[in-house]
Amino acid sequence: MGCRWNREGEEPMLLFPEGAIKVQGTGLAILDLCDGQRTFPEIVEELQRQYFGADPKRIREDASRFLEQLHEKRIVDF
Amino acid sequence: MPSNPLALIAEITHRCPLHCVYCSNPVELSAAASELQTEDWLRVFDQAAQMGVLHLHLTGGEPLARADLEELVVSARRANLYTNLITSGLGLSRERLARLVECGLDHIQLSFQDSDRERADWIAGTKSHDHKVQLASWIREHRVAFTANLVVHRQNLDQLGQILLFLETLRPGRIEVAHTQYYGWALKNRQFLMPTPVQLESALGVVAAAEERLKGTIRIDSVLPDYHAKYPKACMGGWGRLLMLINPAGAALPCHAAGVIPGMVFDNVRDRSLQSIWSDSSAFQKFRGESWMQEPCRSCERRAEDFGGCRCQAFLLAGDAAATDPVCSLAPSRGVVERTLRESPTDVISAAALASDWTYRPNPTRT
Repeated sequence: MGCRWNREGEEPMLLFPEGAIKVQGTGLAILDLCDGQRTFPEIVEELQRQYFGADPKRIREDASRFLEQLHEKRIVDF
Repeated sequence: MPSNPLALIAEITHRCPLHCVYCSNPVELSAAASELQTEDWLRVFDQAAQMGVLHLHLTGGEPLARADLEELVVSARRANLYTNLITSGLGLSRERLARLVECGLDHIQLSFQDSDRERADWIAGTKSHDHKVQLASWIREHRVAFTANLVVHRQNLDQLGQILLFLETLRPGRIEVAHTQYYGWALKNRQFLMPTPVQLESALGVVAAAEERLKGTIRIDSVLPDYHAKYPKACMGGWGRLLMLINPAGAALPCHAAGVIPGMVFDNVRDRSLQSIWSDSSAFQKFRGESWMQEPCRSCERRAEDFGGCRCQAFLLAGDAAATDPVCSLAPSRGVVERTLRESPTDVISAAALASDWTYRPNPTRT
């Protein structure tokens, strides 16, 4: 959708038309997996592997909520 | 020390094939021969990125009028700037569009004047509407952010609902509904462009309904007209606070219109670094912070929100750039705005009667 993931500066930023969001923690882990290739279930699966021990259902919900919020602002599409 | 700007507005040329009656360019356009060279812009983009600037807006005039646009986009992308092309689309072929996206363009903001070809071309003073529609479909072939921009005023507000339906069919990610701001050419044409109160009221409803209908598909950003507001806009997010504008000749300005304020001296990027202009130049310091403020701004609890409004408007309407923006309901000079609103006709003047009276924005001279 023309958003750009900028990890090169001191603080990782998600850039989009007329705006930017600082991304931290798990948001960072989620966006790193958004490569235009992986599907949502694949992203969740990968996160569940990375955060082994955390509640898998919770991971799915959190990732879904995070991406939904970005989708509603028309920053990402999936 | 002020914190560094987040966005750089690069007016790379004032040449333009359109002659829009609401153009926000200054009435004193930069001559073609005075334009910065490619290497000047490359240096400016690098300096901006080093200062922490995130967004670059390539605008004009019509930025496509510069043959080196591709090179500018490549260098902006290399500097890691999120690059937006603000364009009328005129002169953009399918091939050049593909090339620009390939060069790293992130976002294209394409302007529309109306949904009706004749009306749109009449406002732009050029046959341009059909090409814009064609271009929109080409843009959708690429992975690039796409905003359709619509400047609204008395001559097209009655058709707003229809125009939004038309813009939706172009499938942009974002629609920007921008009320005309009265500077430059728009101020010259204010009597023809100022909306009626009834139009404004109904526009609010139309925009709200479209927002609801398009939720999750197209984001709508709407900029309200300040003459009708209770408080002024936080112009440019505060003077010398978030944004920096470089005009075609290399002068660094805190906003598009700052040139109208008498006595201002604008440093040029040919002579000084962006950082030193931002931090130390007299122009950027002039209305930075709060020490320049007069009453009622000085003690107003909104002063950190709207920064006293727009300095250029204060000068243009009240004759004093340090005065409270006259559009503010608390401004001693609010009467000027009230008078303008009272005196602007309440009926929508017919197109034919107008065309002979308004001023189309011309092209700058060569030298």
